[in-house]
Amino acid sequence: MRAVTRLLLLALAMLAAFAASLLLPLPPLAALLGADRSLAFALLWELRLPRAALALAYGAMLGASGAAIQGLFANPLASPDLTGTTSGAALGAVVTAYLLGFSAPLALALGAVGGALGALLLLLALAGPRAETATLLLAGLAISALAGALTTLALALAPSPFAFYDAYEWLMGSLVDRSLEQAAFAAAPALVAILLLLRLARPLDSLTLGEEVAQSFGHDVRRLRVEIVCLTAFGVGACVAICGAIGFVGLVAPIFARRLTGGHPGRAILPAALIGGVLLLAADLVVRAAPLGRTLPIGVVTALLGAPFFLWLVAHMRWRLGR
Amino acid sequence: MTTLLKAEGIALAGRLHPTDFAMEAPELTCLVGPNGSGKTSLLHALARIGWPAGEVRIDGLRPESLPPARRSRLLSYLPASRDIAWPLTALDLVRLGAGADEADEAMAALDLTSWADRRVDRLSTGERSRVLIARALAPRPRLLLLDEPVANLDPLWQLRLMERLREAVAQGQGAVVAMHDLDLAARYADRLVLIDAGAIVAEGAPEAMLGSERLQGVFGIERVEGEWRPLSSPPRRGGEAG
Amino acid sequence: MRAFAFASAISLALAGAAEAAPRRVVSLNLCTDELLLMLGDPAQIVSVTHLAQQPVETRLWREARRYRRNDGSLVSVAGLRPDLVLTMGGGARDRTRIAERLGMRVLDLPYPGSLADIEQAVREVSTALGRERAGGAVLARIGRLKRARPGRQVDTIWLGGGGRTVAASGLAAQWMALAGLRQRAVAGDRVSLEQLLVRPPAVILRSDYRQGQYSSEQRWLSHPLARRVRGARTIATDGRAWTCMGPALTDEIERLRGALNVIPARAGTQENQVSKRRTSAFLGPGLRRDDG
Repeated sequence: MRAVTRLLLLALAMLAAFAASLLLPLPPLAALLGADRSLAFALLWELRLPRAALALAYGAMLGASGAAIQGLFANPLASPDLTGTTSGAALGAVVTAYLLGFSAPLALALGAVGGALGALLLLLALAGPRAETATLLLAGLAISALAGALTTLALALAPSPFAFYDAYEWLMGSLVDRSLEQAAFAAAPALVAILLLLRLARPLDSLTLGEEVAQSFGHDVRRLRVEIVCLTAFGVGACVAICGAIGFVGLVAPIFARRLTGGHPGRAILPAALIGGVLLLAADLVVRAAPLGRTLPIGVVTALLGAPFFLWLVAHMRWRLGR
Repeated sequence: MTTLLKAEGIALAGRLHPTDFAMEAPELTCLVGPNGSGKTSLLHALARIGWPAGEVRIDGLRPESLPPARRSRLLSYLPASRDIAWPLTALDLVRLGAGADEADEAMAALDLTSWADRRVDRLSTGERSRVLIARALAPRPRLLLLDEPVANLDPLWQLRLMERLREAVAQGQGAVVAMHDLDLAARYADRLVLIDAGAIVAEGAPEAMLGSERLQGVFGIERVEGEWRPLSSPPRRGGEAG
Repeated sequence: MRAFAFASAISLALAGAAEAAPRRVVSLNLCTDELLLMLGDPAQIVSVTHLAQQPVETRLWREARRYRRNDGSLVSVAGLRPDLVLTMGGGARDRTRIAERLGMRVLDLPYPGSLADIEQAVREVSTALGRERAGGAVLARIGRLKRARPGRQVDTIWLGGGGRTVAASGLAAQWMALAGLRQRAVAGDRVSLEQLLVRPPAVILRSDYRQGQYSSEQRWLSHPLARRVRGARTIATDGRAWTCMGPALTDEIERLRGALNVIPARAGTQENQVSKRRTSAFLGPGLRRDDG
C-alpha cells in the first residue's frame, strides 16, 4: 500500500472518529432534536465540539511529539510521558493555578509550557542526547518522580480542601466541560507545533544513521534538538494547561506509525499525529460509554489500554542493535 | 577543471591540529595511523561534522553552502560505527542516501539485491556493513569519506570493496579512506597518508611509505621478510606535526 | 470568583423581581446539592450529584434520591434543559461560560471561608430559587445560634481520620464557636497522637465520617491513644455535615450546644487540673499547659 494511500486512510479514520465523538451517544441528541432544536445544536456546538476538538488536537500533539522525541533519542520508549514532560507540565500548571487561579488560561499555559520545558532540559542534562534505553528511562522516571513529588507537595499545600479536589481531577486528565475558547487555546498551539515538527521529518530520518552522518548531510543536530524540545514543550504544555496530563498516547501512537512507515522516525510524525488523534477520540468515547455514575478520568482509560501494550513492547524489544 | 578537494586549516579542538589537505584529481587516498591518532577526526573535519575550523572546498564549492540534496552529490561520509537506530529494510536504508534508481544500482553493486526487503537488524554484521556502504556510495558523490569500510567484511568482500572503490575513482570520484590494514591499503591506494597524534606526519606513494622509518616508528612495527613484526628496538614516537 | 458571584447575585436579584422562579434547577456540586435540597421546592429540583444520594456523604441522601443524579458535569445535565445551574469551583472547567451560551442561568458560588460566606450563599441561592422565605428561615436559625453564642469557650480539637483537624481561624472553627467549642490552633492542621497524650484538650470533637470503612485514616482513629484521650471528653459528631460546612450543620451545632451544657463548668476544670499535675510531673516544671 502506498504511503499516501495509508495517510489518506488514517485521515479518514480520524474524521470518522471525530464525527462519532460529535454524534454519540445518539439517543439523547436525537431526543433533544425533537424536543428543543436550538438547544440540541447549542449542545453540539458548545459542549460536544470542544470536547471532540480537544481530543483530536491533544491526541495529535501527543502522537507527533512522541514520534519526534523517539526519533531524537533513537529510542522507542521515549515519549512525552515517560520522559516526564507531561508531569512537568502538570506541575507547572498546578503551581500557576494556585498562585493565579484556575481561570487564567494564558498564565496556566505559560506555566505548563515552562514546566514541560524544564522537564525536557533536565532530561537532556541527565541522560544526554544519545542515551541508552536504561539511562533514558531512569532519567525520565527520576524526573517524573520529582515532578510528581512536587505536585503532591503542591496538593498538600492547597489553599483550601476544595482546591485540592479541583487540582486532583484535572491532574488525571479531563476533556469534560471545556469551552470553545479553551479548545482553541489548546488546539492552536498544538497545530502550530505539529506543522513545525513536520518540517523536521527529514533530519529526523537521517538520524537513523547516527548523528555524524546526519551532520554530514548538512543537518544541524544541535538545533534540531533545541527545536524539538521547544516545540514539544510548547504544544504539550498548552494542551496540559487545558486538559491536564494524559499519558500513553505519546508512547503508543508513534510505535504504530513507524510500523506503517517501515521504521522511519521522521516520516512517522504525520501518521503518529493522526493515530494519536484517533486513539484519544476513541478513549473519550469509552469514557462516555462507561456506565458509571461519575466521569471516568480519560487518563485512566489511556493508561488501562496503554500499559499492557507498553509491557508487551518492553518484552519484545529484541531488535535493538548491539544495545 | 577545479581541484577536487582543497582543505585549508581544518581542525577539531583537541583531536586534530590545523591541517591542510588537498586532492587535485580523483584518486584513492588511504589514511593510516594508530588508534586514536586522528584519522576519524580528519574525516569529520572534511565532512564538516562537529563544527570544525577551517575551510573545505570540493569542486570549488563549500559543502555548508548547499542544501542537503545537493550536498550529498558533493560528499558522502561513512562512520566507523555500524549503529542503525531503527529497523528499516535494507533498501529503505540505502534510499536514505539517494534516489530510488541510484539505490538499486548501489545495492546491485554490493550484491544486496536479494536482501532488499530484509530488515537490517536481521542481517549479519558483515551484511549490515555492506548496506551502510551501499548507502554511502549510492549518490555517487564527488568525494567519498569512508571510515574503516572493510571492517566486518569477509576477505572476499574486502577485496571486492577496494576494487569497487578503484572503479569509482576511475569514474571521477575521489575517495579518502581510513584503514587499519596496511597491506590492503598499500595494494589499492594511489597515496598513503600517515597520521599520528592529531597531525599528518607523512604522505607519499604506498610502497615507499610502507618501507619508511617514519611509518614504522609511528606504529612500532617493522617489515621483516615480507611480514610485519613488532620493532626489536623501542620506537621513536611522535614526529613533528605535519 | 467572589466578585463574579457577587455580581451574579446582584443581577439575579434584579432579575428575580421581573422573572418567575426557575422551574428546572440542577446542582453540580455536593455543597450546592445540600443548599438546593434544603432551600428548594421539590417541584423545581431536577438533578443533583450522585454524591448527594449516598448515605455516607450527606444527611440529605433520602431526599436526594427522589431526583435524577448527575456526575457533576454540565454535559450530563444539558439534555435535561435546566433553567438554573448551581455550581461551586470546578477548576479548569468552563461550565459558567458554556451554560450561559446554552441559555441557562448559572449561579457559581465561591468556596466558603467564613460564616458570612455561608449566609451569603444561602441568600443567593434562595433568591435565585425564588424561595426567599425558606432562606430566611435558615438564616434565622443561624442568627439565633450566633446571638446565643456561649461566652465560655472550651478548648477543643476537631478530630478526623488520620489525625486531621481544622484551622483555628477557619469556617469549621467558626461553627464550633457557636456551640461553645474553641478549636485549638494546631500546626499544619494535623494533630499527632503524641500531642493528644501530652496536651489533651478539654473536648475532642470526633468525626464519624466513613467510620467502619477500612482505611489507614480509620486505623489511626482506632489507635488506643486516639480512641480514649485521657483527660479529654470525646464527643462524636456526624462527619458528613462537616464536608461542606453549610447550613446542614445547624442541627449538629444545636445538638452539640445541648451536649456541652450538660457538663457543669467546675467538673471540666477539675479534669484539667488533674491532668495538668500529671503532665507537669512528666514534663518538669518548666512547661505549662494551656488553660481550657
